[in-house]
Amino acid sequence: MRQRSLIAITAALAAGALTLTACGSRDDDGGGSSDSGNGGTTVVIGVDAPLTGDLSALGLGIKNSVDLAAKTANKEKYVEGVTFKIEALDDQGQASVGQQNATKLVANDDVLGVVGPLNSSVGESMQKVFDQAKLVEVSPANTNPALTQGVNWQKEKARPYKSYFRTATTDAIQGPFAAQYVFNDAKKKKVFVIDDKKTYGAGLAATFTEEFKKLGGKVVGTEHINPDSKDFNAVATKVKNSGADVVYYGGEYPQAGPLSKQIKEAGAKIPLVGGDGIYSADFIKLAGAAGTGDLATSVGAPVEELPSAKEFVANYKAAGYKEAYEAYGGYSYDSAWAIIEAVKKVVEDNDGKLPDDARAKVVDAMQNVSFDGVTGKVSFDEFGDATNKQLTVYSVKDGDWATVKSGTFTG
Amino acid sequence: MSGVGPVEPGEGTRVRTAPVAHRPQRGSPLRNFERHRRAALGTLLASAVLAGSGYLYLTRPRPQPPPDPPHPSQVTAVDYLKPQATGGGSDPRNFSFDVEMTLESGPPVTVVRISQPYAGLSVTSSPRTPFRTEAGAPRKITITMRVTECGKVPRNAGLPFLDVTLRNTRAIEDHSFILGSQYAQDLSRALQVACSNDFG
Repeated sequence: MRQRSLIAITAALAAGALTLTACGSRDDDGGGSSDSGNGGTTVVIGVDAPLTGDLSALGLGIKNSVDLAAKTANKEKYVEGVTFKIEALDDQGQASVGQQNATKLVANDDVLGVVGPLNSSVGESMQKVFDQAKLVEVSPANTNPALTQGVNWQKEKARPYKSYFRTATTDAIQGPFAAQYVFNDAKKKKVFVIDDKKTYGAGLAATFTEEFKKLGGKVVGTEHINPDSKDFNAVATKVKNSGADVVYYGGEYPQAGPLSKQIKEAGAKIPLVGGDGIYSADFIKLAGAAGTGDLATSVGAPVEELPSAKEFVANYKAAGYKEAYEAYGGYSYDSAWAIIEAVKKVVEDNDGKLPDDARAKVVDAMQNVSFDGVTGKVSFDEFGDATNKQLTVYSVKDGDWATVKSGTFTG
Repeated sequence: MSGVGPVEPGEGTRVRTAPVAHRPQRGSPLRNFERHRRAALGTLLASAVLAGSGYLYLTRPRPQPPPDPPHPSQVTAVDYLKPQATGGGSDPRNFSFDVEMTLESGPPVTVVRISQPYAGLSVTSSPRTPFRTEAGAPRKITITMRVTECGKVPRNAGLPFLDVTLRNTRAIEDHSFILGSQYAQDLSRALQVACSNDFG
């Protein structure tokens, strides 16, 4: 009997302690499924990015970040009665594949918006398909000015597609921003310009070159490389013999890394500078130790300066994605969230239901979207370009990208 | 040595046949507990109440600590307004223009320095640096540039910067403000006038 009393006392105390613990518990969810659904309608956010191949590091960062946005919206029941899902397609960095993906996404009636692609050339091939279907497309990474401002953007801006938006800053700013930094701050006066002949690379190299010359810099050589090759010894020798004190490369990291390495091996101990396409941890791996001092401009402010970005970084980590969010993670999250905001507006304006012409309505709503996102204030101007135009110069230091200088375009 | 064993063995307190008795036995713990049951229960309950109170105290809802203020560059905007008219007799090597500095939110920001990156130009401002800006109170700043060497200024830069050092309670930062095409055009025009009779 007395033993039983003891057991009873112990049990009572334990129960009391557990009760107290339960009373004091915070808002933990207990690890429930974040996409457990919000009932009602399913809205699919399409994703198009290179999920395999050389550029997959950036592409997978885009896909995961969109996934995180969808899960967050579901968890918060951000749009009453709507559950978001993603459908991610691999464009392999190829324009033709991107166009096929666009057709596939258009065919799925549940798709009300698409995030992507990474490459401007792929974006170019998808725009018309989406526009004809009145399906909104938000690219987190396309930087070629022509996509939003028309091919004659330098003389007269004209928006070619109403359904196309982007959260990334354009090369109309990025190229000159890099030129200003290289000429004025890094004090480099003789540049050798190389590009990969693609829409993004050639466009960026052109805007850089124009501004560099205006500032008084000299272009001592130009070359185009074949993006399918990794042997750039002939170009590296030309760089060495040109007397250049800096190389500007318009293109992406799979080529930029080996190019930087081979230029240094050829005896030209000069920095290689590129745009957001080389701002990847993989560039540093490919360039090796000689890449220290190489520079990249990238869209946006440094992550450590933005409290909203810190939250994104923490949530991304907590979600357990295998791949890093890379250069466009924050922009991809914001692109997806812009679609979610537009869907919310359309649903709320239609008594809590999706209207029959939801796609067209989402395009219209997107134009007026405005929210505080991971990368700052997110909204779009009359061309579909991001109104938030920040850029940052990064330098390779101790095996990582270090922030050097940031700028904001307010013109 | 005040302990006295029970008169008769209690339930479950049967003496073992081979007890280890290097120290004086005071009866089994259970027998002791039985003897001091009230005191023990009281202590246990008091401990539980204390533990519970302590837990509740430690986990009581507390106001979140205020978030860190934003980095100054993330809340400061500089917009180009217009060039200032220059009188006919004024020195063409000096020219001025106005910008508006707006602090969107957060604690006051001190403008520590205003500069521009071209070697052939010097810059002063009115008000002179350092000066403070406060949220909700945009300030008009007049920037005056002086051409010191025409050979070291760009005559038609596309996106010239204005470099500003900003400080608030969070950080001190150098930030470039790219004031856009109208600023670029006005700056080019002023530089062409200033250097039309090249003295540099």
